This record gives sequence, C-alpha cells and structure tokens, in this order.
Amino acid sequence: MSNTDLATREPQVFGAVESKSPGRLAWERFRRDRVAVIASFVVLFFVCIALLAPLVCKALGINPLTLDRKALNDYGLPNGPFGAISRKHLLGVEPGTGRDILARLIYGARVSLLVGFVSTLLTTVIGVVLGIVAGYRRGKIDSIISRFTDLTLAFPSLLLIIALTRPFTQRLESFGVPEGNPARLTYIVLVLSLFGWVYVARIVRGQTLALREREFVEAARASGAGHWHMVFKELLPNIWAPIIVIVSLSLPGYVAVESTLSFLGVGLLPPDASWGVMLGDSVKYYRADPAYLFVPGVALIVLVLAFNVMGDGLRDALDPKSDRQQLG
Amino acid sequence: MKRRIIGLLGLALSASLIASACGSDSGSSTDTAVSNDTVATPGTDAGTPTTGGTIHILSQLEQITHLDPQRNYTGSDLAFVGSTMQRALTSYAYAPGSDGSKLVADLATDTGTPTEGGKVWSFTLRDGATYEDGSAVTCADIAYGVSRVFATDIIVDGPTYAITYLDIPKDADDNSEYPGPYTAKADQQALFDKAVACSEDGKTITFTLSRVVSDFNYTTTLLAFSPVPKAKDTGEKYDMAPVSSGPYKIKSYEPGKSLVLVRNENWSKASDPIRNAYADSFVYEFALDPAVIDERLIADAGDDQYAVSDGGLQPENLQTVFDDERFKDRRQDDYDPYVSFTAFNAKTVSCVEVRRAVYLGLDREALRTAGGGPYTGDFADGFIKPALAYDYAPNKMPEGLNADGTPNVEAAKAALAEAKTKCPDVYAKATGEGLKFFHPDTPTWQKNISIWIESLKAVGIVIKPTAVEPSKYYPTVQSDETDYDIARGAWGPDWPNASTMIPELFLTTGGFNLTRNGDDPAYKQFETDTKAALAELDRSAQGTKWKALNQFLVDQLWSLPGTFLKAQDLWGSKVGNAYRWSSSGSFLFGELYVKQ
Repeated sequence: MSNTDLATREPQVFGAVESKSPGRLAWERFRRDRVAVIASFVVLFFVCIALLAPLVCKALGINPLTLDRKALNDYGLPNGPFGAISRKHLLGVEPGTGRDILARLIYGARVSLLVGFVSTLLTTVIGVVLGIVAGYRRGKIDSIISRFTDLTLAFPSLLLIIALTRPFTQRLESFGVPEGNPARLTYIVLVLSLFGWVYVARIVRGQTLALREREFVEAARASGAGHWHMVFKELLPNIWAPIIVIVSLSLPGYVAVESTLSFLGVGLLPPDASWGVMLGDSVKYYRADPAYLFVPGVALIVLVLAFNVMGDGLRDALDPKSDRQQLG
Repeated sequence: MKRRIIGLLGLALSASLIASACGSDSGSSTDTAVSNDTVATPGTDAGTPTTGGTIHILSQLEQITHLDPQRNYTGSDLAFVGSTMQRALTSYAYAPGSDGSKLVADLATDTGTPTEGGKVWSFTLRDGATYEDGSAVTCADIAYGVSRVFATDIIVDGPTYAITYLDIPKDADDNSEYPGPYTAKADQQALFDKAVACSEDGKTITFTLSRVVSDFNYTTTLLAFSPVPKAKDTGEKYDMAPVSSGPYKIKSYEPGKSLVLVRNENWSKASDPIRNAYADSFVYEFALDPAVIDERLIADAGDDQYAVSDGGLQPENLQTVFDDERFKDRRQDDYDPYVSFTAFNAKTVSCVEVRRAVYLGLDREALRTAGGGPYTGDFADGFIKPALAYDYAPNKMPEGLNADGTPNVEAAKAALAEAKTKCPDVYAKATGEGLKFFHPDTPTWQKNISIWIESLKAVGIVIKPTAVEPSKYYPTVQSDETDYDIARGAWGPDWPNASTMIPELFLTTGGFNLTRNGDDPAYKQFETDTKAALAELDRSAQGTKWKALNQFLVDQLWSLPGTFLKAQDLWGSKVGNAYRWSSSGSFLFGELYVKQ
C-alpha cells in the first residue's frame, strides 16, 4: 500500500473530471461512508460532553461527588430496580455511596479522553520525528533508532506500568507535579507515550524510506535543499494520511488502556471518577447490582467502537486503494 | 490482637477494612480461671460430629501470616494454627457462644497456680503430649519457645507480653537484657532461665514476673507460649515448617497456592482434652479473589460443600445471602471482638477542637452504609466493646454528636471556630493545605475516603488522601517516618481485659499506637492512670479504672471511635461445627467436620 501516490498522481487519476484537492476528495469519500459519519458524531458528542461536563451536570442537577443515602437500602445497595434509576438519577446510583452514575460517567469521560488525546499527541510527535529522521538519514542513525525501537517493543510494558506506578508517581510529586491524580495522570500519559511511539515510528520510517527514493525528492535534493526543507516540505506533507489514520486508531486504544489501568487500581485515585475505576468497582456487584456494571461498560464500548469506525472511515477516505467499497 | 489487611497490588482484594473480625469475648469469663478439663461440646449444629473427610478453607491471603507460633498474632491464624498444630499451656474452651471464652488447660493439667499474689505463676505439665516425630513435649521446649520471643530481630510480628511481663532486667531504653536464644551469652541466658524455670522432674514450669499479673494464665493462651524443640528450630525459616504438637501436621505448603494438613499419627486424644480433630485433612487454598470465594460458597458445588472462608462475606453479597432463606442454615451474622477507629497524629493535629470538628462533621452513617449498613456493626462509643462487661460502660459522647451517625455540620463548624482562636496553626492546616489521610488502597477504602472527603468538605475541613498498598499499610503507618495526619486501624483484645486494648492502643510503648500522643499535654496523666489500672489487682476496681480511661480517651479524641464491628460468614452445606469462636472471632477451624 502506498497512499503517497495520492498527492502526486492526482491529476492523472481524478483530474479529468474536475479539479479537486486531495483533501476535498478525501472529505467527499468520507462523507459517503455513513457509518463513519455517525461514529464521528458519537465521538463529537462524547468530546463535547466531556468538555462541558460541569455545565451538563449543572443542567441535569447532578454532581459526581454528592452522597445520597436515600437512594440506598440498608445493605448499602441501590434502593430500587436497575441500580435505582429515577428521575433524579437517570442512570442510577453507585452502591455504597449513592453517588450519581451519570455524573460520574460524564466526569469520567473527561479523564479517559484527556489521557487518550494527550498520549496520542505525544506518541505521534515522538514517533513521527524519530521515524522520519531514521528513514531519511538511514545508515547509522537509522540502525540506532531502529534498535532502540525494537528494544522498547520488547519491554513488557503493561507489567512495568503497573509495577512502577507508586515509585514513579512519588518521584513526579517530588518534582513538583501536584500530588494525587495530577501526578497519576501525568505518569500514565508519560509511560503510555514512552511505550507507544514505536508503532508510529515504525510506520513513518517505512513510509519515509519509500518516499525518499521518489523523483520529486530526488529533484529537491538535486536542487540543493537542506535537511530541514527535505523533511518538512517534501517528506512530511506526503505522509500525513497514514499518520492521521494511526492517530485515529490509537486514540481509542489509549482510552481503553487508561480504563484498564484504573480497573487494575493503578489509575485514578478516589474520589474522582474514571470509567476504569467505575468498571473496576462495578465488577464486584455483578450479582447484586448488574445495572452498575452495564452502564460504564456500554459507554466504554460505544466510545471505543465509534473511534475505531471513524478511524476506518478516515483510512478508507485517505487511501482509496484500500477502500472496501472499491475492492468489494 | 491484630486484624490483617489483605490486598494484592491494589487489586480488588477488599478486606472490608472498616470491618474487622475477632470474637466477642464474653465478659462472663473472669479473672479467676475456670480450672477444669472440659471437653468442648459440638457446635450449634444438630447431629453428632463424624470423623473423616477434608475441609477446605478458602482464603484471599497469599499465605498464613505466620505459622511460627511465636510470631502468630492475628485472630483467625491463632484459631487455625492453635486448633490444628500448636498447643499452648492454656486455651479457651472449644465451644460456641460465651463458653468459648472460658479458660481451660491444654499442655498444662490446670490453668496455672499463682503465688505471691500473682507475681509467680506455675503450670503442671501434662504427660503424653508429643510432637509429630513422636518425641515428647518437654518443659524445656516450652521455655525455649518463650525465649524465642526475645529475639526481636528474627521473631517479629508476634505478641511481646513475655518481654513485658517476665522478670528480666531491662536496659535504659526499656529493651530486655536478654537478646533471645540465638545470640545470648551464658550470663544473659541465666537471666532468662531464672525467670522461666523448669522443675527437676520436668513436670512444672514456673514463670517469675516483674509485677503482679492477675490474669497471666490468659496470656499463656497465646501461641507465643507454645513449645519449640530447640534442635528443630530454624530461626526465621521455622515460619515455613514448624514442628506440630497438635492433631495435624503439614503435608505440603506452597505460599500463594495451598497448605495441606494431614493427621499427625503421633498425636493422641488421651493427651489432649480439648481438640477433637474430626476431619482427616485440611486444604487451605490461598490467593483467591474474594468475589470468587463468595461465589463458590453461594454456589455450593462439589468440594465447596466442604468449604469455609477465613475472610467473611463481602458487603456487596450480604443482600444475596441474607435475603434468601436458602442460606439460613449456613450463614451467620454477629459481633466480633474488633473495634475500628481512626487515629490522629497528635503531633500534627495537636488541637482537640479540630479533632472534635472532624468527629462531629464526619458522615459516619454513610461510612456504615458503604460497609453493609447494620451489618457493619454499631457506632462505637469508645474503645471497649460492651462484651468486655467488666470494663465497659456507656461513655458520654462529645456534645452535638448525632447518635444516628449523620453529620452535625453546625456543631462541627462551631468546634472549628473555637479551634480558629485556640490553635490557629492546626486550624489553618485543616482548612487550608488539608489533613493527610493514609488509607489502604482497597475498593472499600476508595469509597470510604470519598465519604470522608465529601462530608468534611461541608464543614470546611480538607482531607488529602494517600493510598497505600494494602499489604504495606500497617508497616507504613507504624513507621515513625510516615508523615500522616490521620490513619485507620482496628484492634481486638487478646483476652477479656481492657489491659490488652487501652495500653496497646494509646501508651507510647503499646503495640499498635498510631496516635503519636507522647508529647500531648494530657499524656502524662493518661500514662500514670493507665499504669495504675494495669497494676490494680482487684478486677472490678480495675474495670472502674478502665471505664474512666475509656471516657478520658473519648474526651481527648486522639483517636475517633469507629464501629463495634460485626462479621458475616457463609459456609458450605456439609460443614459441621461452623460457629464463630468468641476468642478469635473466626471459625474454630480445627473443629470443623464433614457432615455425612
């Protein structure tokens, strides 16, 4: 697959009908993919809710921290069917404390998406820079970066993340990161980025290797362009498409990993909510209060699915050769 | 005695830490020993106990905290090891209900003879007691076992009453001159041999104490007074393979997996008046998820019909079990001996008004609900449970404290306003940077800490939580280097006397003092009064003194009384003799039998 063709061959393939920019073409293809469009709306919805969490909760009259003893029975379990769903608590309450699940879900989305976006941003930046440098310079630099990539890939990252949580958050706190959740979230983002960039770097390096032999790159080199110009004006603009695809597919991965870590107890600390914390807590109640398990679980599935479908749609749009409709 | 904290890497191993377990020691057992050889009667089950079969014990622990008798100090472990493998000089009767706190003889033929008003105690040893290799249990072995307690660098975590009580000189730092059997020089060993002496015929062991201890024969129920053959002692490693003197011995032991006990053929019923040893073998299954344990017991399938758990039911399953009559013959809900509390660091929270404001403003009702509502237990009015009848009287609680556990925000704010003028430093800390609360990182506590934060926010007090890995929680808060402002704990009496509660929790020399109260202006008086109570010989006069001290502690609030805890159990349908043994608050594991 070589979606770098997109930019260079455009006049021959599509130009006969009407002159359209590659971005415009991609957008039109994406718009035709109805499932991907719906998925993007779902993603947009979650992002908006997360951004506007305080306003949304205020409008609904709920708060993620307020205790509600009246919604619980004497066993400390929700006082009613389906986790005590009521007009006051639209998705029911948390067993033990009576905190509103919807409010915790909305605030939890903030954490999940924040970790997802920041980790993706960092991995992409690191991965693209190292990947391009390795692919463009080749030789010694390439082998150093590539061996380093292999080494990072060989690490049992999840185990390390879990084992190092406590010492490293303490270290971060001693460096002045605010204690508690800011330090925990910083740690999670840092380690996810530390282990995540390799996937981006490998793909970008491959793309760059293919690209640097192309005529237009040769031409630029022959006309005496510097490294800076080569990388940023010639190579980078032509590998945006695969980068966008990687980004859209790795973001839901990071959202899920944050949930996993919180589920395993090395994520967010109480009283703040994240989806992983909610899932981890709710598993205990699968017998006594199944609704509690259902809500964060479904939310996580919907968000991750929406991101993935959107990512697929983007790939199809940006890389018409792999378009399932055309192949199909 | 301690209650253990269970947890693995912050995973959901929720020891219901607000709840604790150990047994409501009935106050009916008195300072005068019941001297008889009563054979315990079978438990609450109808039908005759039958021998044979295998009992399974499901546990979330990685291993038994300590199999070494001298290091064993948690209620459930004492019951398990004591009833299967380690005999001590005396024991509590193997019976349900309040009979279970009666003192009976075990390796001794009587429950001890005090002379010099209780300063010298002698026990006549029983004939015929043997170890698993068939050799006889001797007086020297018991003395050797006790001497191991003094090796405080190797024999850690166990009760240290032997060091406190025995008449062996102490140096300036209050450390014993005797360093234990491993490193003692001849003159040091002589100090010990003088305090713990065997008669010429080896039939009598005599303990000389540094002061009168009128209930020393209760102290000797602790397995720290179990025999250890010197030739077999492997020091620290003895914890993994102790020599059995009871009806069972270790067949295999793999921490993290299982401990299998089989019959000790060299144990004879004739030499042991209290143990019945019905089952042929025991399988202790470790490292199980508590949710899985509950699920297996609820399902009651296959070998789980012969299973009990050593950890009680999780709060989330209480409704399932207690609302369903299917379980009515195999569940129980009662008090255990533990009192939960929240300790302040009296050095940093040196202002009683702030401590009172926290107490008044805390939503104790929400905390109780999170632990299972009424199943958690009753709001404590001090540090002595009503079951300690000699020492308990209702306390006068701080004015404004709501009896139903709900917060009294007005009263709390008033107390805080008082603090603002009286101790501006502590006030500023409590309302500004916040009080550091070290809590175990378990699901239960993740909820509890949220309740603390949220309910005290309404008063204006800031709580800053620090989650500590559960297995490291007690070592962390017991270390002087940890700078917490608030910590939590639960404690139960080692025998029915507040002398094992108040001094342990609040004297600076106590085994579980989390309050760092040594520099508090009120401490000197407290210390004097406590020492007077310890020295009091008349049991009812001593009780009066404990009552006054209990009230004093509620006024000082170095520690906030939490809950007089209850515990709930479910067991397999074919397990007999499943009752809560009042002295440990757990099952009396060795007496469980398989129903035919």
